[in-house]
Amino acid sequence: MLAALTHPIPDSLHTAIDGALVLVLLLNLAMLATSRLATCIRLFSFQCLVISVLPIAAATASDAIGIHGFFLMGGTVVLKVFLIPFILLRVIRTGDIQREVQPYLGFTGSVVVGAMMIGGAFALSSRLVLPGQAMSTLLIPVAISTLLIGLLILVSRYKAITQVVGYLVLENGIYLFGLSLLHAMPLLVELGILLDVFVGVFVMAIVVYHIRQEFDHMDTQNLAPMKEPA
Amino acid sequence: MILLLTVTLPFVLLCLLLPTSRLRRVSLVAGCAAHFAVILGSWIYPVLAVANPGTLLALDPLGHLFVTLISLLFLATSIFFVGYHQKVLVSQRVFLACMLLLLASLTLVCAAQHLGVLWVALEAASLAATPLIYFRLGPRALEATWKFLLMNSVGIALGLLGIFCLGLSTTAPAPAATTLSATTAEVAETAPHGEEGIGMTVTALREAAPRLDIAWVRAAFLLVLVGFGTKMGLAPLHSWKPDAYAEAPPPIAALFAGGVTLGAFLGILRVFQVCLAVGQGPFASLWMTAFGLLSILVAGIFIIGNNDYRRILAYTSVEHMGILVLAVGLAGLGGTQSSVLGAQSSPAYAAMLHTLHNTLNKGVLFFAVGFIWRIYKSNRISDVKGALHHHPIAGVIFLGGLCATTALPPFGMFYSEFAIILAAVQTHQWFILIGFIVTITICFVGVMTAMLPMAFGAPSVLPVTEGSDGASSSSFGHWREPTMLLPAAGMLILALALSLYQPDYVTRALHAAADQLTPVPVQTAEIPAGVTTAPDRPNTAPAGDHLEEGHL
Repeated sequence: MLAALTHPIPDSLHTAIDGALVLVLLLNLAMLATSRLATCIRLFSFQCLVISVLPIAAATASDAIGIHGFFLMGGTVVLKVFLIPFILLRVIRTGDIQREVQPYLGFTGSVVVGAMMIGGAFALSSRLVLPGQAMSTLLIPVAISTLLIGLLILVSRYKAITQVVGYLVLENGIYLFGLSLLHAMPLLVELGILLDVFVGVFVMAIVVYHIRQEFDHMDTQNLAPMKEPA
Repeated sequence: MILLLTVTLPFVLLCLLLPTSRLRRVSLVAGCAAHFAVILGSWIYPVLAVANPGTLLALDPLGHLFVTLISLLFLATSIFFVGYHQKVLVSQRVFLACMLLLLASLTLVCAAQHLGVLWVALEAASLAATPLIYFRLGPRALEATWKFLLMNSVGIALGLLGIFCLGLSTTAPAPAATTLSATTAEVAETAPHGEEGIGMTVTALREAAPRLDIAWVRAAFLLVLVGFGTKMGLAPLHSWKPDAYAEAPPPIAALFAGGVTLGAFLGILRVFQVCLAVGQGPFASLWMTAFGLLSILVAGIFIIGNNDYRRILAYTSVEHMGILVLAVGLAGLGGTQSSVLGAQSSPAYAAMLHTLHNTLNKGVLFFAVGFIWRIYKSNRISDVKGALHHHPIAGVIFLGGLCATTALPPFGMFYSEFAIILAAVQTHQWFILIGFIVTITICFVGVMTAMLPMAFGAPSVLPVTEGSDGASSSSFGHWREPTMLLPAAGMLILALALSLYQPDYVTRALHAAADQLTPVPVQTAEIPAGVTTAPDRPNTAPAGDHLEEGHL
């Protein structure tokens, strides 16, 4: 991290990183707006692709192009860009439901709320004193808004599969946050985190599959018989 | 160390590969027993346990205590489970393998010094635990599983965010860098250059305390408290707990209440340690006491009038987690040594004592409840009356577990809760004192009024068509009953024995763990004469473990 400080990031790279971060934000909004589950998953996959490039960019900036960044990128690409979306798409394909119908919060409404969250995230991070210097001033606000939007997807949708995507977006936000301390975490731990996320999604997919077997669809609304007896 | 982490893994494979159900169950017990044997060995030969605390993995007194409790609970549970398991509902291979994986990942949690490793292990634990809830197939079990999975994943994600915040606090530009000594600067320097994880181990963070950015540490602590608190089952985020405990088979619920929650608790404690070093003890304590009191209160409210005894037990678990957090919070507020019934005690010590007895009691109670459930086949209290009549031994064990969990005097929880009250008086935390007494009274009354009729009360008719006596004996094979009752009775006797006479080495182990949670960095000079000091800590353990072994 300190090494990163001594070498100013070249301008073009800086623009590229900022552009990627803005793209991540736009993808968040797109995910909020879409009703087709498959599209949502593909958007997520694309978001992960964009994110996976960032550690390399950061490493280039800090002239410490280590094996570290490449491993991390490889892990992200394999797990998040290909495997996880593949599993989720499979779950959808074997079922017959393709769309999120009537979420708690309408699609337009959720985009508006999402936009407000982004505004809030920028306001918040302008007040946070970031110790050290991140690779881009956009990093923290984008991370926080990705996190919030993930939570929004998680709580405002009925379909179990969309909730899984929401969780993954939340995880992406945290991952972005973690990029600001790329060097403090050993590679082993980061790969462990990736693997845990992957296994988590795998388990979730299995549960979703069971939910569908049990109820003939993936609506979590049906999961309500266990309300507390008053 | 490494042996401890890997000892269960071959048995996982065995569970997956062995052809018959009986062999697989034997391998489950063997796996847990092997793990427990290694734990015992680590107390007798401290060389096995103690590693340099600056490394990624090391068993400090706190982790050592926790892993011992967890291992003991797993061993008892595995024996109980052999008797409990009847019909194969889900794939038994996967089920048993997940149990052992859970044990392995919890061991990793206890041994982790690096916060990232700790997180990975906790997440692995919750993933291994998920299939265990989905034991009794069907929509209700599915709902419980989904709730558990989603809430825990999000909670643990927040915990990760908290750990990242802690990481950010280490990258402070060091405004006072001019005055800082070379050593602290060195700590910061080693991290970027890829020295294995120095930056994020608890020890390194504590050493670098003056350099940490306070605001980020505070944010980190709150996120970790909320995130891991979800997994632990603290009040506002406890809603997965009653569902999971009511749907998972009772022995698994025992593992959750006494094992998995400890892992999450340890996660909070690790960050709490860092907070103490930074001097944010009061801040952290304030939030911990608030969460603790809220948990006890919420548990009390939901216990009263509940007709499902397994849900009630889940809420008592919420209550006890609240008490644990509250006790640690009081320690951070400056509660120091006090004398409880002649024994030296502090709130941190009370927390450790409570942890110990929580694990034992939860084992007893859930085992007894599992046995009773097998007799009555019902979750509803109104269907389950007079267990003492139908099965005297199980009834007595159930009653004993009930008394232990509600902290009646002969049992250890009484001492720990009494120590908390004393600490609250001593630190002049009157609101906490009143809140604590009122809320635990609510819980006590609620649990007792609901569950006493289960033991006494007019015997209800058993669901099986044969006469009551014939049913209770015919529904179990001859060997099943002792395998289920033995671990329950063993843990009850152990709990009672430890309450009546707590051997010196146990006290020392608890104090050693508690010392890590007291605001002042451990200085032997400050500990009163009654407490034996650090140096001979590990060597003195062995005799106690022989005793534990004897009870099993």
